[in-house]
Amino acid sequence: MRPAFIWAVITKEARDLLANRLLLGAVVLPALIFASIPTGIVAFLEANELDPEQLGQIGQYIDQFPDLDPKLAAQGFIVLNFMAYFLLIPAMVPMAIATQSVIGEKTARSLEPQLATPMEVSELLIGKAIASATPAVLATWGVFVLYGLVNGAVADPVLTRLIFNDVWRVAMLTLVPLICLLSVMLGIVVSSRVNDARTAQQIGGFIVIPVIAVAVAGFFSGQASFTMEQVLIADLAVAALIGLALAAGNWAFDREAILTRLG
Amino acid sequence: MIEAIGLRKAFKSLIAVHDLSFTVSDGEIFGLLGPNGAGKTTSVRMLAGLIGPTEGTARINGLQLGHDSQRIFSIAGVLTETPGLHEKLTARQNLGYYGRLYGMRGAGLRRAVDRYLGVVGLADVGDRRVGGFSKGMRQKVAIARALLHEPEIVYLDEPTSALDPSAAKTVRDFVATLRDAGRSIVVCTHNLDEAERLCDRIGIMRATLLEVDTPARLRRRNGSASVRVELVGARRPESFLDLLSDLPFVEAARVDDGTLLVEVSDPRGDNPELVRTLVEAGARIVGVREDAVTLEQVYLDLVGEPGQRDARTIGEVA
Repeated sequence: MRPAFIWAVITKEARDLLANRLLLGAVVLPALIFASIPTGIVAFLEANELDPEQLGQIGQYIDQFPDLDPKLAAQGFIVLNFMAYFLLIPAMVPMAIATQSVIGEKTARSLEPQLATPMEVSELLIGKAIASATPAVLATWGVFVLYGLVNGAVADPVLTRLIFNDVWRVAMLTLVPLICLLSVMLGIVVSSRVNDARTAQQIGGFIVIPVIAVAVAGFFSGQASFTMEQVLIADLAVAALIGLALAAGNWAFDREAILTRLG
Repeated sequence: MIEAIGLRKAFKSLIAVHDLSFTVSDGEIFGLLGPNGAGKTTSVRMLAGLIGPTEGTARINGLQLGHDSQRIFSIAGVLTETPGLHEKLTARQNLGYYGRLYGMRGAGLRRAVDRYLGVVGLADVGDRRVGGFSKGMRQKVAIARALLHEPEIVYLDEPTSALDPSAAKTVRDFVATLRDAGRSIVVCTHNLDEAERLCDRIGIMRATLLEVDTPARLRRRNGSASVRVELVGARRPESFLDLLSDLPFVEAARVDDGTLLVEVSDPRGDNPELVRTLVEAGARIVGVREDAVTLEQVYLDLVGEPGQRDARTIGEVA
């Protein structure tokens, strides 16, 4: 594996992405939209008196925050509970970039000249994977920081501390990049076999969303947030899946099959 | 040097190429000439190491196809059938990217990019995105990309397609300089004029090589050439036919449209003797020219007219 080749692919892909404003918007906007929903609810609660009768099911969860008054506990539960979206975004957005990258190259027939160079297929795949995953990781981190600061400012600094807890900091630093990479690898595998970006994203989404949804549902059954143990187990599981996806990528991204299928 | 030895490529039941054997020496331009679907691109892809042959092998400057693929990629430059550029990047960025993939770095890479942008006449637009380029400009960038790393072996698939006559000549001249520099060059084309102007030898292909020779010898593949002798004066051309039939090197002679049409096996060797004999017999000659068989005639003779070709293809598939 030669870093110079991987870096060449990354810089080329970054230039491509920066020139594609629509795709760039698709990286940041979903994260901002998801983050704005709980922030809006927190702001609404902050602006209104909280009637304990209206807490409903949330009432059983706010007991997890015994040190906070009920209103702040409800806000705390909401900001933490919605943070699952910070895992769904890296699962979906990088796949869009990766499928666009591979399908775009297949359509433009720019894969053949690259495959005719001394670059290994695995180097091309890794370069593409890193280049597709990085924007989503950075966008997720950026929106995560914004989420913590804005909710703290809107309601109470306690919310900032709740959001930036140890578990979520570890999840952001490890689980988010790993999920991004898994999403990208699956996007590359799928898009190497089809010639239409929308079809690739639909198939890819079909694979990724249940995986993440099951994980998220499991983690959130009866608890406001993850435990550190759950995050570390998820890290290992996703890393193993990346290994499988990389092997599948090398198989699916067969030089000859891609060239001959393109005519 | 390129040595193709019995290459065969089958895609399931379709045999794209079979029994393909030829050599291309250092400093030689070899043309693969054939109709669409003749297997030219598949052959080049095999020789470039992009796809593996079903049978047979090839040696590229001594490197074995399949075993030394990475080294073959390093020493070969491939102009693909379509330019395949990165549309959002500038011409300079496109070339810079490929230069890095061929291991070029820093000032050397920048110099090479500048040089080849100049060679293909795109120095002024090097910083423009290729997405806005015309077909011809894209083809020029693709040519520069194939040559940027100074490859020892060059594969050019339809190099002058989409180029205007002036740009096509520039490219042909440049390819000739590559030949003079000792590179082995394979050109795929179905452009007969280009093949004739550019190639030292031509292989006419339809899944396999039907004929390989120099353009001049291919034109004379039927064994003789027609020499047209134009006469003036009182004597009718018919009066020289008996005389000509006695000459040992004359294969046939007749009068066509008021001129003598003489078939000889070697015009360069036989014409002086032919002219001397006619002059001594009192003929007043105003012109002698070879009525050459065109490469197109040879090509059509070998691969068949389009109608025949389709019928044959259908028959083969059935």
